Parts: sequence; C-alpha cells; structure tokens
Amino acid sequence: MKRYQDIAGDGGSNIVAQVAEQAGRVKSRMAAVRRIIAVMSGKGGVGKSSVTVNLAAALALEGAAVGILDADINGPSIAKMAGVRGRPLLQGDNGVVPPAAALGIKVMSMDLFLPDDQTPVLWQAPGQKDAYTWRGMMEAAALREFLADTEWGALDFLFIDLPPGSDKLPNLADLLPRLDGVVAVSIPSGVSRLVVARSITVAVELLNAPLIGLVENMAAYVCAHCGREEEMFPPARQENTAEELKAPLLGKIPFDPRIARAGDEGRLFLNDHAHTPAGRAIRQIAGKVKAFL
Amino acid sequence: MKFLCVECDAPMKLQETRGPDEGSMAVIFGCPRCGKGVAMLTNPMETQMVRSLGVKIGGAGTAAEPMGMVKSSLAYRREEAAAASPPEISASIAGEEKSVNSIEGRDSSGCPFSGAVSEAFAKQESGLSWTSEARARLERIPAFVRPMVQKSIEAHAREKGLSEIDGAVMDEMKDRVGM
Repeated sequence: MKRYQDIAGDGGSNIVAQVAEQAGRVKSRMAAVRRIIAVMSGKGGVGKSSVTVNLAAALALEGAAVGILDADINGPSIAKMAGVRGRPLLQGDNGVVPPAAALGIKVMSMDLFLPDDQTPVLWQAPGQKDAYTWRGMMEAAALREFLADTEWGALDFLFIDLPPGSDKLPNLADLLPRLDGVVAVSIPSGVSRLVVARSITVAVELLNAPLIGLVENMAAYVCAHCGREEEMFPPARQENTAEELKAPLLGKIPFDPRIARAGDEGRLFLNDHAHTPAGRAIRQIAGKVKAFL
Repeated sequence: MKFLCVECDAPMKLQETRGPDEGSMAVIFGCPRCGKGVAMLTNPMETQMVRSLGVKIGGAGTAAEPMGMVKSSLAYRREEAAAASPPEISASIAGEEKSVNSIEGRDSSGCPFSGAVSEAFAKQESGLSWTSEARARLERIPAFVRPMVQKSIEAHAREKGLSEIDGAVMDEMKDRVGM
C-alpha cells in the first residue's frame, strides 16, 4: 500500500508552498532590520512592556531607527504606552504602515486593530467553544503577519515585547529567521525569579538564543522629594537575582511613578526624565544592549 | 492530508464538499479507478484549525493581502484598520470562477480539504460568489472604501436574487451609483 510520501504534491490547495511563502515574507521583511531583540519574562506584571518602550526610546534618543512589535496579542499595551493608540493603520505600497510614536519609534500592535477599550481579541469561528484547540494558531498567524506585513522599513533595532509565558519565546523563534538577542525582565521577588528562571532556561538551553542579560525592574523606590532609595521588596528577597538566574545583570531600574504615568499618558518617560535615577538606569541598560549587539 | 483507496492502492480525488454546517464540513472523495467514495466529516475544531493556517487556496499565484488573516478573522475590529477588507475577500480565491463547492477544473490530486474550508467559509459569510473579473474590479477600488462598496454590490445582487457577482452586476452598480 502506498505511503503518504509516495503520493506526490498537495494539488490545488498548495498549502505547503504557501506556508513556505509566509516564512519567506517574514525573512524578506526582517532583512532590513539590523537587530531583532525579544523582551521576555515569563512572569506577568514585572514591567516588560514599560522596559521595552523605554529601551526603545533610549536607543532612539541616540539616533537609532527603532520599532516595537507588541507580541502580546491578547493584552496589548505598547500602543497606549507609546502614544499611538487610535492612530489609523494605513495601507502602504508594501504593507501596512505602522504609526510612529515620539522619536520616530514605529509601533505595531493588535490594539491598533481593535475598535474600542472593551473589545477583546475574538476570532471568527463557528463557535467559541473549544477554541483552545485553535486559538494559539490564530495568535501565531497574527504575529507572523505583524512581522511580515508591517512596513518597518530599515530599522537598527526591532524590539519584540513578548507576553507572559515561557512558551512565547519558542513560538516567536519559530517565526523569525533569526533572533539577535533576548532581554529578560524580572523584579526582585522570589515568585518572579522562579518564573523568569524557567523562561531563561528555555531561551538558553532549548533555543540556544543569545541572552543579552537580565533587567531587574522596580528594584527600589526613589523618593520624589528627597531622592533617597527605599527597598521595594523585603530584604530577604534582595538577593543577587541575576546570579541566581545565571544571567548577566544589565541593570536595576528603580520604581518611579512617573514611568507609569508616562505610559498612561502615552508619553515617553525618557523624553522628560532622562536624567532621573530611573532614566539613567534605563540609558545604561540600553547602552549594554547596544554593546552586546 | 491525502486519501488512498486501499483496494486499488490509488490516491483518491476530491469530488464534492458540503458545508460548513454548524462548523462541520463534508468532504467527499472518490477513487478514480473503482469509483468508490468516502466522506470525511470534520468537527468545528478541525474546520477552524485548518482555517487558522492563514493560507489561501491557490494562493501561490496571487500576492497575499497584508494582514489578511488578522483583518479577515478578527470578530470585532476597527473598520478603518489598514483599510480592512471583509472576510470574504481575504478568504477567497483570486481568479476562482467556480462555485465554492464545485471541484470541476481544480487540481484534485492533492489535499483539497484546506482549500475547501476557506472557500466554504467565504461562501458562507457573504452567501455570494464572485467571478474573477468582478473580483479584480473590486480589488481596483480604493481599499478604504472597498468594504462599503462590496456590501453595496452584494446587497444589490441579493435584491436581484443572484448567487454570483459578475461583470454585468458590477456594470449595473456602476450605472446606479456612478462608481
């Protein structure tokens, strides 16, 4: 009896060739991007998106052409943080033109496709029951289109802000022709370290991805009045997170409520506060990222 | 996915597709040698998984629409997002003149299922098929007004009891609204 491999071709549907063509489109688009950097954590709530926007801003302030892809399909926040929420997406000659935030940072996010604040990402289907079986495929296809069909143009750096979950980086790596660096973000808590450690293991040992290092976010609280730093987490948790995670420490960003406020208002924190402790920390980290690459 | 007639040891060929009906499709194959048939019945999850691939039947001959999957598959989206096209455009086949369930003239030697799913959804969502000429003319309309124009044309076709939109229907609409 004939085996699957004995029957040639897939006929008029041409599915296999189209999937290959999809990968080719991503590769072609990414050829104009010098460095692709994934920002991950595995843990939610550690400030990945905030770190992503601020690192992008720091490099853009130095004159680099920078883009941010919001890979959090279900919980997109980059458009709001970067101040491009509600901007129209225009069809260009060679794809969809991403809106540009301050400093010319190009942004693509699912948020730009959603009609209002309340609408979640829902995919058309005969029914939403048992959607868990195919939802991940839809999200991966959306991410692929964001990569391939956005007119990124020539970029020095494309930051990809990953959602929580240690499976997200492998999914992204499957779609990309190359990944030039991974930045892990954590906070100095035992819970965060536990989750981030697993994500780093996946990045380094499973994917052999180039880990740039760890950013410790919300490392301390800086008093707005006297400038004194106070610990955000119990001293027992202030161990050397980077050493424990076997990742180079890129820097510690102190908590500054102005970072959150800037994100809420769609302004770039570094544009106004580059010389604050948090601003200096972000710029130093961005310098290390650049040096790594 | 490929189907083999065990008795004849011959690849089976697609004969007909039915549905989707409540998310399920019937895909009927026949053996070109002995004529025996078999029907593959999909559950809604299987139907949707194939759709999730974001491919188009016969898509190799046409450039994919940017963000086509996102725009066509989001249940709720900004109408103006990237001059978004409605589902029937991105899910259907450029140049396809046959009705959705017809397999005549299609290469039926390979896996027909994936294509049948997308086509059938395209048919189901608009309830109308477009000839290649009409489709090409529609594609020449500026993207930001295309969805509105398409809806108008389909409404006109339904009013007239038509199941297919061809060049004549487009001409009628052109005369009617001056597009």
